[in-house]
Amino acid sequence: MIDSAIVREFLEAGRSASCPVVDLHAHYGHFGGIYMPNHTPEQMLATMERCGVERIVSAGHTALVDMVRGNAEIAEIAARHPGRWYAYLTYNPNYSDEGRQELERYEGRAAFVGLKFHPSHHTYPLTGEAYRPALEFAAARRLLVLTHTWGGSAYDRPELLEQVAQRYPEVDFLAGHSGHGQFEECMAVARRCANVYLELTAAYAVGGLIEEMVRQVGAHKIIFGCDLPWFDPHYAIGCVIMADISDEARRAILRDNALRLLMPRSRHEP
Amino acid sequence: METLSYFDCNVSIGRPAHGLIRPCPSAAELLAEMDRLGVERALVRHALMSEQSPAVGNPALAEAIADQPRLVGSWAILPPQTDELPPAPEFFRQMAAANVRALWAFAEQHRYLLDRFTFGGFLDEVAERRIPLLIPRDAGGPRPPDTWRMLTRLLEQYPDLTLILAHHGPWGEDRFFRPFLEHYPRFYLDISRYELDCGLRDLVARYGPERLLYGSHFPEHSMGGPRLMVARAEIDEEARQAIAGGNLERLLAEVML
Ligand SMILES: [Zn+2]
Repeated sequence: MIDSAIVREFLEAGRSASCPVVDLHAHYGHFGGIYMPNHTPEQMLATMERCGVERIVSAGHTALVDMVRGNAEIAEIAARHPGRWYAYLTYNPNYSDEGRQELERYEGRAAFVGLKFHPSHHTYPLTGEAYRPALEFAAARRLLVLTHTWGGSAYDRPELLEQVAQRYPEVDFLAGHSGHGQFEECMAVARRCANVYLELTAAYAVGGLIEEMVRQVGAHKIIFGCDLPWFDPHYAIGCVIMADISDEARRAILRDNALRLLMPRSRHEP
Repeated sequence: METLSYFDCNVSIGRPAHGLIRPCPSAAELLAEMDRLGVERALVRHALMSEQSPAVGNPALAEAIADQPRLVGSWAILPPQTDELPPAPEFFRQMAAANVRALWAFAEQHRYLLDRFTFGGFLDEVAERRIPLLIPRDAGGPRPPDTWRMLTRLLEQYPDLTLILAHHGPWGEDRFFRPFLEHYPRFYLDISRYELDCGLRDLVARYGPERLLYGSHFPEHSMGGPRLMVARAEIDEEARQAIAGGNLERLLAEVML
């Protein structure tokens, strides 16, 4: 059996006192094609407790569809759980005028630490003009940007992220799903761009990938996420901790890297 | 410490043509990973079975697991009309000799119709002998439900078939598979990619644990995810042992070769 204090803690208690997890890719609520038994904020907080997830940064499913309604919802939820639940402001480039108003409306709100883009879902390329106001906004305030990335996508394949990341060096970009299916390309982008991080949602399950990311890019550029309430954090954590990597790398991925990105942007008490 | 015994229903060895980040060419490498993760036994197939032909892959699998008591074999089937595999009685005799106790159907990859029109009495015999038939549901996600349509027809024609739906995608496909759990008592689910938060708890509460099988789909996917998920799911210890290995143990013990 793997000789790791963190692995033992998770197997025996479901959580790690020495390594509380920080998840930078979460949502909440129903979502079209998938049944989620555990989708309310209260249910998600119970899951976080069970799995030793200390903090999440979340974008509402509602906001992927209806940005205005969804951002209002998540602002309210995050405000109720300071220091535990942070929010991404979702920006839909297909409604860029409303998007600009959203950026202004929530500017300076404590719970918001970044922006969420989903170019594939919105069928609009990450490099397109309509993303510019949001990217300039993020650059001026040094916000995080979590963007969906997917291999071969006309909207958000790793190559497009690289173009945007080079244009906005002040912004830290999380490559959601690590360019799933184009992992080599996404790892190369994360190597070349100091401001691009590999986010693990769904990618964690791919056999041997975490080891390869640590080898090629370094544990310091890998960020934990599991699309909660989609995926059981234990499934995602299991993939990370049982990978053939050091406890130091496990801790960096599950916690340290995320805190390094999150805390300077947080206006909640620690 | 944990005292559960894990029996993985879905692992493979070999060198798939599309390449893997970390392939698992041999039984020795598979056993090493199982040891690392604390997995006792596994039901194994060989990449050649699907990618080249069962005629090549089935014997390759038998050879790879000979003298490996922790590994139980699974073979792939083909339509009887082309005589590429030994005919029925001999086929089952060879399975017994090679410690092969389950079958796979790669219908899309091998280009045949998995139905009574093609398989006739062969699948009746598979059902009577209680040999589990594993069906891959590759690449989950938002795409047309071909596999599910095929399965409704197959089970209408062979309602007593012991069927294991393998590695359906992480887009929890409950809306597809729950009706099968409802209608067919011998429909089983490999939970290797059933990653839904609280999914196992929800499924066990509604259908019981008897038809859920721990699997990993290693080496395409990590063994670690389902391993920790099952270890920590909010279900009672009896249900956990059933899912971790008890159910598969029971299924394979029922097989008559
Ligand atoms: Zn997401």
